[in-house]
Amino acid sequence: MVVVPPLVVAVVLLAAWEAWVRLREVRAYILPPPSAVFEALRDDPTRYLEALGETLVSAVGGLVVASVIAFALAVVMAHSRVLERALYPPALLVKVTPIVAVYPLLLIWFGFGVWPRIAVAALITFFPMLVNAVVGLRAIDPRALDVMRVLDASRAQIFWRLRLPSSLPYVFAALRISVPLSLIGAVVAEFLSGSAGMGQLILQANGAFDTPTLFGAIFVLAAAGIGVTALVSYVESRVLDWHAASTAG
Amino acid sequence: MIESNAVSSPAGAPAVEVRGLSHAFDAPGGGLAVLSAVDLAIAPGEFVSLVGPSGCGKTTLLRAVAGLLAPSTGGVEVLGGTPRQAQRAHAYGLVAQDPGLLPWRSVHDNVRLGLELTGRQADVPALLGRVGLGGFERYRPGELSGGMRQRAALARALVHGPRLLLMDEPFGALDELSREAMRVELLRLWEAERITVLFVTHAVREAVLLSDRVVVMSPRPGRIVADIPVPLARPRSEASEDTPEFLALVARVRASLHAAHGSARAASTPGDAL
Repeated sequence: MVVVPPLVVAVVLLAAWEAWVRLREVRAYILPPPSAVFEALRDDPTRYLEALGETLVSAVGGLVVASVIAFALAVVMAHSRVLERALYPPALLVKVTPIVAVYPLLLIWFGFGVWPRIAVAALITFFPMLVNAVVGLRAIDPRALDVMRVLDASRAQIFWRLRLPSSLPYVFAALRISVPLSLIGAVVAEFLSGSAGMGQLILQANGAFDTPTLFGAIFVLAAAGIGVTALVSYVESRVLDWHAASTAG
Repeated sequence: MIESNAVSSPAGAPAVEVRGLSHAFDAPGGGLAVLSAVDLAIAPGEFVSLVGPSGCGKTTLLRAVAGLLAPSTGGVEVLGGTPRQAQRAHAYGLVAQDPGLLPWRSVHDNVRLGLELTGRQADVPALLGRVGLGGFERYRPGELSGGMRQRAALARALVHGPRLLLMDEPFGALDELSREAMRVELLRLWEAERITVLFVTHAVREAVLLSDRVVVMSPRPGRIVADIPVPLARPRSEASEDTPEFLALVARVRASLHAAHGSARAASTPGDAL
C-alpha cells in the first residue's frame, strides 16, 4: 500500500514530538504535545468544523468563480492572438498585485460578508487557470483538426469535440495548483477581516495563548487541503482515464 | 459504402484538376518556394500516387487539393467546384501519417466522428470489421498498435462515403510488416469501392503496387517530372510484386526520381554536372 510509508513517517514524527516536549518539559503555549492538540480537537470538534465550513465556502467559492471566468476568457484568447495579446497584460496585473493591498478596496466593493473573501480566493487562483486553459485549448492535434476541417466542421463542433477535451489535462493541472492557493487566499482574507473561518479561529487562539487550538486549526486546514486535492485527483482520474494511456503509448 | 452525393461533375470531367499551381511559404529572407507550376488531373475512380524526395512539396500539394492551404498562385478544382465546396459537400476523406485519433474516444466513436460531422448514416461495426478491427470497437487509441490506429484512421476517413480519399504517407510511420499488411488491405478495399484516391508516399514499390498512375516529383521546388501509367492487371496482390512488369515499372519510377534529383543538383551547382 502506498499510504503505509508516509503514515509510518507521520507516526514516528508525532511520537518524537511528544517525547521531546515531555522530556524537555516545553511549556504548552510554546509547543504543545500532539496529545494536547488532539485533546483540543476532541473537546470541541464543532468549533473547528464550523470554521472549516466557512473557510471552504470562501476557498471553493473563489476557485469556482475564478475557474469559470478564467476559462471563458481563455476560450476567447485561444481563438484570437490579438485578443490574447490585449488581455494578457491585465491578467498579469491581477497576478502580480499583492492581494493584501487590494483587500480594503474589496471590502468597499463587496461589504463585510463572504464575498470579499471569495474575491481574494478568486484573485489568487485566477491566473494559473487562465494560462493553463489557453495552453490547453491550443494543444490540439493538428492532424485531428485537419480531418475535421476537410469535413467542414464548424468552430463550435471543433470546440466541443476537439478543443475542450484537449484542454482538460491542463485544466486539472491548474486545479491541482489552485486548490491549495484558494485555501491560502481564504485564510488570508479571514486574517484581514477577523470575522470568520479558520483565520479567525487562529487569531483568537493566538490572542489567548491557546497554542493547542492553534495547532488544531493548522492540522484541520492541512487535512482539508489534502482532502480537496485528493478529491480533484479522483475526479481527474475518472474524467481523464484516457490521458495516462495516450501519453504512455 | 453509402450513397455518394452533392457536388456534381459532368461525365468525363476530372475528379481533381490542378492548374499552374505554385506555392511559397513565408521564410526569413524571402519566400521558400515549395511547388512550381504543377499541373495534375485525376480521373474519377483513379488511384494516383505522388512520389518524390522529402521536402518536395507532395504534402503541400495534397493540402491544397484538400482545401487546407491556399496556394500562392494557380487553381485547384475538385469534383467541378472549389475545394471549399467539396468540403461542404463532405466529399473528402483524409488519412495522414499520424493517425490523429481523439484519444478520449473509443475506436468506434472515433470512426463515428465522420458521421457526426456529416449527418450521414453508416454501419460503423461492419466497417471496422472490413478494415480488420472487428472486436476492437471499445478500445481507446492508446491501447492499440500503430498499425491498428492507422486502420481506425482509414475507417474514419471512409465512414461517410467520401468521393475523394486523400492519403499522406499513411503507412510511413509503420513497421515493415504492418506496412505490407496495410498495403494489401487498402488494395482490397479500394478494388471493391473504386473511389478516387490521391496517395502521397516516398515508397516506390508501394506506389506502383497500389496505383493506376505514379506521378514523380522533383526536389524542392517540386515540379512534376514524370507521369507513369501502371497497366498491371487488377485485382492485384502481394504476388503482383514478383512479376517482371512490376519490377520494370519500379525501375522506371526510380530512374525518373534519380534523373530529377540529378538535374536539380546540376541546376543549382552547374560545376557538378561537368
